[in-house]
Amino acid sequence: MVSLAEDVAIVAFEQTPSHAHFNDSEPAMIMPCVNSVIEQVGMDRHDIDFTIAGSCDYLSGMPFAFVMNIDAVGAWPPVYESHVEMDGAWALFEGFVRLQSGDIDTVLVSGSGKCSPGSYREGFSLQTDPYVHAPIGLDPRTQAGFQAQALIAAGKATERDFAEVVARSHANAKNNPYAQLSGDLFVDDLLAEPYVQQPLRRLDCPPTSDGAAAMIIARADRARELCDNPVWIRAIDHRIDSHHPTLRDLTDSPSVRIAAERVGLYDGPVDIAELTVTYSPEEIILRDALGLNGQTSVNPSGGPLTGSPFMAVGLTRVIELARAIRNGDGGRGVAHASSGPALQQNLLCVLEGDG
Amino acid sequence: MPQLHDVDYTLEYPYTRTTGPVIGPFLTGLRDGRILGQRCGDRVLCPPMEFDPDTFATLEPDLVEVGPGGVVENWTWVAEPSAKHPFDRPFGFAFIKLDGADTALVHAVDTGGDPEAISTGMRVQAQFREERHGSVADVYFVPEADAADQVIEPGDEPVTITEHLISLRINEPLYPHRARFAQGLLDGKIIGQRSPVTGKVYVPGRGYDNMSRVLMSESDEVEVSDVGTVVAFTELNPVQYYGQTETEPYVRCSILFDGTDQPVIGIDIRDMTVDEMRVGMRMRCIWRDPEDRSVEDIDNRFGNVPESVYVRFEPTGEPDVPADELKEHSW
Repeated sequence: MVSLAEDVAIVAFEQTPSHAHFNDSEPAMIMPCVNSVIEQVGMDRHDIDFTIAGSCDYLSGMPFAFVMNIDAVGAWPPVYESHVEMDGAWALFEGFVRLQSGDIDTVLVSGSGKCSPGSYREGFSLQTDPYVHAPIGLDPRTQAGFQAQALIAAGKATERDFAEVVARSHANAKNNPYAQLSGDLFVDDLLAEPYVQQPLRRLDCPPTSDGAAAMIIARADRARELCDNPVWIRAIDHRIDSHHPTLRDLTDSPSVRIAAERVGLYDGPVDIAELTVTYSPEEIILRDALGLNGQTSVNPSGGPLTGSPFMAVGLTRVIELARAIRNGDGGRGVAHASSGPALQQNLLCVLEGDG
Repeated sequence: MPQLHDVDYTLEYPYTRTTGPVIGPFLTGLRDGRILGQRCGDRVLCPPMEFDPDTFATLEPDLVEVGPGGVVENWTWVAEPSAKHPFDRPFGFAFIKLDGADTALVHAVDTGGDPEAISTGMRVQAQFREERHGSVADVYFVPEADAADQVIEPGDEPVTITEHLISLRINEPLYPHRARFAQGLLDGKIIGQRSPVTGKVYVPGRGYDNMSRVLMSESDEVEVSDVGTVVAFTELNPVQYYGQTETEPYVRCSILFDGTDQPVIGIDIRDMTVDEMRVGMRMRCIWRDPEDRSVEDIDNRFGNVPESVYVRFEPTGEPDVPADELKEHSW
C-alpha cells in the first residue's frame, strides 16, 4: 500500500436524485449540489483552494460544455480550476493527488452528466478504438453482452445470477431517496423478460439518467476544523486493462485486482462496497476480484442499475459509501468507479470512519 | 409555459486520422477484399497492431493474409441496433478468430435477423460491401453456408487516411426559461432575468445567476428594452469549414440593451459595413411582422437574438455612449 504525504478526508457531499430527464441545463443541475457542500462546512466559495469537475461534452452535445459547467461553482472572480473528461471519481482522484503536495487545504470536486438528450450507446462507442471499433459502432452495451456471454461460457455465472443482482439492487434502492428505479422484483419474472442484448435483458442494463454530485475534500487539520465527522480517504488508485476486448479475459478484472492490492483492500475487513455495476454481470466479476464475501454489504444504495447518471455515477458511489460510514453502517468500505466498456478501467477508493 | 418545438440537432465532427504502417495496409486490404493480420513472434494478430500486446514492444510491419473464414468465439445479439451499427435490423456482434490468426476481431454477423443462427464455435465468412472506403466497416460476416462468392476489384492508392464523420443526435425539450425567452421573441419582447441577489439583469437568462450561484425562475424575469448600445463588433469572413453556411463577409456585434447588465452577443448586421460600426453606437431592433417571426433555431445553448425575429438593427441617431462607460461589457 502506498504511503500518503497527507491524510485527506471527505468533509461534505451532496448528490441530485437520479432523474430520468432533468429539464434544465447541466450547470443548473450541479449548482444546488455545490451550494449545499459549501454550506455544510460553512465556507465561502472563495475559500476553496481548488475546483475540479468531471463531465463529458459528447453527452452534453455541446463543444466546451464543461466550460459552461464552471458557472455552477461561481465564475467570478476566477477560480483555480481543472476538468477531467471522465467520471467525477477521477476528478476526486486528481483532487486527492493535488492535496498530497501539501500547499493547499481544500478541493471542491464535482461530476455531472445528462444522458437523456442523446444516446449514450452512440456517444460512448466513440471511446473505443477509432480504427477497428468505433466505425462499427461498438457500444458499451454490446461489450457488456460479450462480458455476460463470457461469464456464462466459463461457467462462472448464469442468467439467473444476473437477475438476482438486479432484484437485490432494486430492493436495496427502496431505501435510497436518490434512486430512479426501485421495488420488489422476482427473479423468475425478470428471466421471462425479452433480451435487449442477449444474454442481457432491459433491467440488466442501466436506466437513462441525468444527475450530478459534489464533494469537498480537505487535508487532515483543515478537515477537523470543517466538520465533526470526516470520512477518511485511506487510499485511491486506478488501473486499466486493454481496450481490445478480445485481448483480455472478460470474466476477470486484472486491473481491479491490481488496484485492490495498491489500496490495501485485502488487508482488512470490508463492511460496505459501493460498486459501479453498470450492467448486472459486472457485480459478479467485481465481487470476485475484490475478494468480497458475505461480510460485505454490496451496493446498499441500489447502485447504478437503479440510477446511472454517467460522469456522476462513480463519484456518487464514493458519496453513498461516505454517507453509510457516517451513518455508522460500517467502519471501512470500498467505492469503485469504472470507465470505458466492460470494466476496462477501474478506480478504487478505500474510506474509513473517524473511529 | 409556452409549448414550443423540441431541441433536435445533430452534433457532428469530421475526424481525419493517419493510418500508420500497420493499420494502413489492413484498411487497404479491406478495401481490396482481403483481411490482413500482423505477425507477432509466432502469432498472428488480427486486428493487426503496431505493438506486441503482451510486452508493448514495437512490431515491424509484417502483414499476412488471414480468413476469409473464421470461428465465432463469443457473441451477443443486438436486438435494437443503434444508428451507428453496421445493420439496421437485429444482428450479432461476435469475436471472430479468422483462419490463420491467433487473436479475435470484433465484428458484425448478419444472420438475416435470426438470433438462433449464431452460436459460439460456428463458422462464419467475410463478405465485402459494394462500396468500400478503406474502413473496418467495408467488411461484415455471415454464416459460412450463406457466404456468396465475390469478385473484388482492388483500388489504386494505399489507404493512408481515414475519415470518420461522427455525429450525435441531441433531442430534448427547450428548458423552461429558454421556452419563455423564445416565446418573448415571438411576441416582440426581449425577456431577461434579474438576479434576486445583485439586481443585475441578464439577457438571455440562463436560469441562474452565475456570479451569486443562485437559481432563477419565471418570477425573476423582466421584459427589457429593444434599444441598446453596441459594445463590441467584428467582421466575419467565413472560412469554409465543415458545416459553414455563410459565404459572404458580415458584421457581428454585441448589444447591451437598456436596463441590462450583460450584452447579447452574436447579433448579425447585414446592411452595414464594419467601417460604419462604432462601439457606443445606439441601435434599435426593427422586428419582423409577427407572422414572419420564427424561433425554430433557438436551442438550449445560451445564444443570441436570432435574425429570424428581426429585419435589422438600426442606428437610433442618438449620441454615442462613451466607450469608457462600456468597459465592463466589452464582449
